[in-house]
Amino acid sequence: MKTIFLADDDADDREFFEEALKEIDIQTTLTTVKDGAELMTVLVDNLLDPPPPHVIFLDLNMPRKNGIECLKEIRETPRLKNIPVVIFSTSAYPNAIETTYSLGANCYICKPNSHQLLKKTIETVLSHNFWERNQQLPKDKFLLAIS
Amino acid sequence: MIKKEKHTRIKIVFLIAIIALMLLSLFSYLRIRNLIDESVLVNHTQKIKLELNKTLSILQEVESNQRGYIFTKDSVFLPPVDSARIILTFHLDNIARLTNDNQSQVQNALQLRTVVFKRLDYLQKMLNDAKISNLSTQRFLTGRKLMSEVGNQIREMEKEEDKLLQRRTSSMNKSASLTPLLTILLIIGSILILVSSYIKIIKELRISDLLKLNIESTKNELELTNKELAFQNKEKEKRAAELIIANKELIIQNEEKEKRAAELIIANYARSLIEASLDPLVTISASGKILDVNEASIKVTGVPRESLIDTDFSDYFTEPQKAQEGYRQVFKKGFVADYPLTIRHKNGNQTDVLYNASVYKDDQGNVLGVFAAARDVTEQKWAKDLRIANKELAFQNEEKEKRAAELIIANKELVFQNEEKEKRATELILANKELESFTYISSHDLQEPLRQIQNFSSRILANEQKSMTEKAIVYFEKINNAANRMQVLIADLLAYSRTTFAERKFEIIDLRIIAEQVKSEFEEVIEVKNAKIEISEMCLTNVIPFQMRQLLHNLLGNALKFSNPDIPPHIKITSSIITFVQAPNISLNPEKEYCHISITDNGIGFEPQYKDRIFEVFQRLHDKQKISGTGIGLAIVKKIVENHNGFITATSQLNEGATFDVYIPNN
Repeated sequence: MKTIFLADDDADDREFFEEALKEIDIQTTLTTVKDGAELMTVLVDNLLDPPPPHVIFLDLNMPRKNGIECLKEIRETPRLKNIPVVIFSTSAYPNAIETTYSLGANCYICKPNSHQLLKKTIETVLSHNFWERNQQLPKDKFLLAIS
Repeated sequence: MIKKEKHTRIKIVFLIAIIALMLLSLFSYLRIRNLIDESVLVNHTQKIKLELNKTLSILQEVESNQRGYIFTKDSVFLPPVDSARIILTFHLDNIARLTNDNQSQVQNALQLRTVVFKRLDYLQKMLNDAKISNLSTQRFLTGRKLMSEVGNQIREMEKEEDKLLQRRTSSMNKSASLTPLLTILLIIGSILILVSSYIKIIKELRISDLLKLNIESTKNELELTNKELAFQNKEKEKRAAELIIANKELIIQNEEKEKRAAELIIANYARSLIEASLDPLVTISASGKILDVNEASIKVTGVPRESLIDTDFSDYFTEPQKAQEGYRQVFKKGFVADYPLTIRHKNGNQTDVLYNASVYKDDQGNVLGVFAAARDVTEQKWAKDLRIANKELAFQNEEKEKRAAELIIANKELVFQNEEKEKRATELILANKELESFTYISSHDLQEPLRQIQNFSSRILANEQKSMTEKAIVYFEKINNAANRMQVLIADLLAYSRTTFAERKFEIIDLRIIAEQVKSEFEEVIEVKNAKIEISEMCLTNVIPFQMRQLLHNLLGNALKFSNPDIPPHIKITSSIITFVQAPNISLNPEKEYCHISITDNGIGFEPQYKDRIFEVFQRLHDKQKISGTGIGLAIVKKIVENHNGFITATSQLNEGATFDVYIPNN
């Protein structure tokens, strides 16, 4: 059983993600939060119960605290710094990709535009088992697969 | 200095010791004085006491006799009152004298005198009465009372005297009690001072002894050295005298040499002047033979010095007889002036000259030969022409200055224009930044709603198909297609603007790596279309890596997209460094190296007249329903090539494949 956190301010996107995840073979539990501030509260306060997530899907454009700020905080907090972070954004702006990778993002994916593609993308990302080997996927691995 | 200081210190020490000893004597003297004073005082008190006792005892004796007489009436007991009065007066006087230093005691003494005589008078009266009759007890009581008054007075005075003595001696003792302690301290102090000064003096004496010894030995050494020096001095004086003589000798030799040198310099100087002269100079003997020539003569004749000397002077002129006539005149007249002749150079050149010559003589006045100087007059002829040419040049110069002034004005104008352009450039940079932020907005904010449309329409098509009519399904598919096209359009526009605004960092990159990466991006299409892609002869070159990648991506993408549906695509990618190529419509710099990238496919191609149009934005040659695309891909390619200062050409015939050639300067 893998625990997954999703931080996204768009309710529709959260729903798409949830539906796609349900149809995947991998056994998972999903916790969703509405923005970066909520994510940090959940991560810091509930670190032991429930246990830390296996992977965090992180949107970039969010109110209160954006994805970049969250990523920075996670990587600077000793208890959290090893949690894999997958950037999950609409934008494929090169600067954003460079910045998040330099801050230690494990993967950058563009939000797919169909249910099928989303399912496939999540499946592929999870199959990389970031939680076992702390690795960074090539910057454009999923950008091109999607477009 | 040090010695003096030491002496003063010793003096001070002794002075302190003397002062201490004097203080000691003073204290002792004071102590003795004190003791004497004390004993005098004690003595004084004892004397007073004695006098007082005597007074009392005399009075008592008189009284006891009186009692005896009253009881017995025997005249034996008749007391000598009168003599007792005299003795008492004597004693009382003594008391008064002794106590006159104390006011209260003086009063007491007077009181005592009064009481004593009162008692004595009463005693006399009782005796007189006793002779007549018996005396009453009352009279005896009065007598006793008077007697006790006397006793009281005496005791009073004794007490007073004791008190005085005690007061005086106690004050003396107080001052005297410190004396022994001070004395001891002073003695110890003096001893310490004396001992330390003794040690000090002994040390000083030792040091001065040592110094004396040192001085003695140094003195001896100095005497020896002095003698040695005196000896050396004498030796040196001797040597100096010798040197002075040698010096005089040298000075004389020197003067001789200087004279000789001066003569040589003059001779040299004269010779140099002769040699430096541009006029040909020559000396001729009486027989007309050349004796000596200068460098100019050699030049003008073209004959070396050795060959000139001892030959006939007249041989080197176009008219030898005129020359002979010339030097004969000199011997005759002593000189000639401006005698025209023409010198003939060995190679045939002729030089017009004017000769000035005079004879030269020895000390006795005998003529030795002729000294002749030739002035080249060809130059003078030239000078006239030159003056005219100069004027022309001056005129041209003025013209040029005028032109320069005009150029300066033009330059200022250009500087001004330049500034304007810089301003414009700054404005453009700002505008570019704004565009860049617009690019970011379009990359995110435009895509977000679009993606939602795509998502929802795809969900509807997937899940709600059963409850929809055929028409509704078709419409939703159209919505989906339109949204997808718009997504591609946004992505392409972004890529296009990025090639314009993004930072341009050149790096030396192996093109094969980029080509292989791009190829792998198309894996799926390649598989589906069963395409064959050949990458060969790739080279290293200096490019903007991400742009070069985009270029190859677009070109390869096009080659795959515009393939012939009946034949599997076969695409060849090559690159090489070339120096010069003959290609239509492009003009490569023949001095530069270029990287030539070529992509050839076997696809549907295009009609040759479109070879330029295809690179324009939004230009499509095909129906978008048949072949997808936005018409931006090749515009991006063109832009990237321009960013690299290169050229691109497209060659094709319809249905016969196409070739794209890219030329990028290889820096």
